[in-house]
Amino acid sequence: MMLQVEDLRISFGGLKAVDGVSFSVRQGSIHSLLGPNGAGKTTLFNLVTGALRPMSGTVRFGSRDVTGWSADRLVQAGVVRTFQRTSIFKKLSALENVSLAVRARLGLAARLRIPAPLRAEVRDEAMQCLADVGLARHAEAEAQHLAHGSQRALDVAIGLALKPTLIMMDEPLAGMSQGDRQGIADLVLRLREEKGLTLVIVEHDVGMVMRLSDRITVMQYGKVIADGEPAEIRDNEAVCNAYLKGSFAQ
Amino acid sequence: MKGRTISHAPAGPAPGAGRVTPLGVLAVAAALAGALVPVWTQDAPFVLVMASHAAVAALLAVSLDLLTGNTGLLSFGHAGWFGLGAYACGLAAKGWSAELLLAVPVALVAALLLSAAVGAILVRQVGKAFAILTLAFSQVLYALVFLFSDVTGGEDGLQGIPVPTFFGREIASQEAWYWLLYGTLVAVLAAAFALRRSPLGCAWLGIRENAERAHFVGMHVGRLKLYAYMASAALAALAGALHVLFNGATSPETLHWFESGKVLMYMVLGGVGTIVGPAVGAVVFTLAEETLSSVTDAWLIYFGALFVFIVIVAPGGLFGLAKPAWRRLARRRGEPQ
Repeated sequence: MMLQVEDLRISFGGLKAVDGVSFSVRQGSIHSLLGPNGAGKTTLFNLVTGALRPMSGTVRFGSRDVTGWSADRLVQAGVVRTFQRTSIFKKLSALENVSLAVRARLGLAARLRIPAPLRAEVRDEAMQCLADVGLARHAEAEAQHLAHGSQRALDVAIGLALKPTLIMMDEPLAGMSQGDRQGIADLVLRLREEKGLTLVIVEHDVGMVMRLSDRITVMQYGKVIADGEPAEIRDNEAVCNAYLKGSFAQ
Repeated sequence: MKGRTISHAPAGPAPGAGRVTPLGVLAVAAALAGALVPVWTQDAPFVLVMASHAAVAALLAVSLDLLTGNTGLLSFGHAGWFGLGAYACGLAAKGWSAELLLAVPVALVAALLLSAAVGAILVRQVGKAFAILTLAFSQVLYALVFLFSDVTGGEDGLQGIPVPTFFGREIASQEAWYWLLYGTLVAVLAAAFALRRSPLGCAWLGIRENAERAHFVGMHVGRLKLYAYMASAALAALAGALHVLFNGATSPETLHWFESGKVLMYMVLGGVGTIVGPAVGAVVFTLAEETLSSVTDAWLIYFGALFVFIVIVAPGGLFGLAKPAWRRLARRRGEPQ
C-alpha cells in the first residue's frame, strides 16, 4: 500500500472532526474521498499532509510511519498536496512559480547564486512541468492573469516539480467551468497513466469521482461510512440513503 | 498575453540582457547626478549636509524595504536597529577604535546576533502581531538607553565620538562624507537588486505572495523570513553606524517609535517593494522636512496629510505613479515590462 491511515482522530473543542478514520490507498491508483460539507475530508487531508497533528492514530507512507511529520518533511518524502482554493504565487510568472518549487526540492531556495548549468537544469525541469500540464506557452505570463483552469493546472505543475509519488488534491474541480473540469479530470488521468502517480482526491462532483476513481472512501460526520470501488459505492444502501441518492440517480 | 511580469527569475538570461535600455541609462544618469552633488553645492554647504542626511535616511528606508518589500513582514520598530547600530558603533569608536573598518562591523555584528535571537521568535508571528512585537522590541531598546545611561549618555545621548578614519586617514570634509554615504547607498541598492533576482530573493517573494504554499513546496519559511529580518536589521544598523560617525553624536530619539514611523513613511511614500522607491521616498521626505520645518512648526500636519493622500491616491507610492508611464514607454519600444 502507498498510504495507510489507521484510526486517525482529531477534535476541535467538542467537535470530533475526524473520528477514527481508517483507509488504504493502493500504489498507482486514484482514490477519492467523498462526503458532504463538514464531513471532515479537508481536516483529514490536513492531518495526512502535515498541516495538523492528529490526536491519535497513524499515517504510514510506504513503509514509513509519517504521523505528525511537518509539511516540508513530507514533501521531501514524496507527498504533495494541492489546495481547495487555487494556491499559487500570483504575482510571479508561471515559470517562476514552478522554478521556486524545483529549487526548494533541490535545497537551493536559500542560495544567493546558482551555477549556470544548474540554473539551466532548474529552468528545463520547470518548463517540463509546465508542458506536462499544458502551460508551456504561458511560461512567462504572470500567474494571476491566467484563466482559472490554467491556474489550477499551474497549482498541479508546482506539485509535479516536487517529484511526488503521491499527490493529494483538495477539491481540484471547485469553482470551475464544465470545460475546465474536463481538462483537470483528463490531467488527473494522465498523471496516473503517464507518470504512474498515486492520487488522493477530495471532490464534491460525484459523477466525476465515479468516472475517475479506482476506489472511494465516503465520510460523514468525521467517520468513514463506506469504502470500496465506485460500483460498490453506487450500490451502497447506507451511502445512498444518507445523502447521495440524488447524485447517483443522474 | 496580457500581464507579462517583470522577470524575477534567475532561471536564465533575462530578456534583453546585455542591451542598453532607457531604464539602465536613467539609472546611470541618476547615479552620476547624485555623485556630483558636492560640485553643485560648493556655495551652499548646508545643502550638502542635508544631502548626506538624506543618504542615511535612504539607506534606512532600503533596509526596511528589504524586509517588508520582499517578505511582506511589516515592522513598526525598525528604528530600533538603526539606533542599536548607532550606539554600538559610537561606543566602539569612543572606547576602542575610530577606524571605520573596525567600528562599523561592531554595529553589524551586534545587529546580526541580536536580530537572530529576537527574529527567531518574532518571525513565527504574522501580520499585526509581528508589527506590534517589533514596536515593543524597539521600545525596550529605547528604555535600555536610559537604564544604562552611564554608558549611553542617557537623555543627553552619546557624544564626543572621535573623527573616524578610513585606512588611518581622517574623514573630515563634508564632501568626503557625502561620497562615502552616497557610495554606500549606491552599492546597497545594487546589492538589493542582485538579491531580488537571486534564488533567495525569489523565495522571499514567494513567501510574500503565499507563505502557506511556500511551506507546502518544502521551503523553510521561518528560516527564510529570519534571513530577511537579519539582513534588514544589519543594513539598518549600518545606516545607524554611518549616522553616528557622520554626526559625531547620537541620541535616544534614533530608537524612538516616531523614528520608526518616519521610516515607514519613507517606504510608503516611495513605493513598497520597489527597492529604489523607498530610497527616493526618504530623500524627498528628508529634503521636504528640512525645508518645511524651517518655514512652519506645523510641518508634521502637512506630512500627515501627504501620507493620507499617498495611501489613498497612490498606494504604490511615487514609484507606482511612474509605473504606467514607464510601461507605455516600454510597450512603445516593444520591450518586456
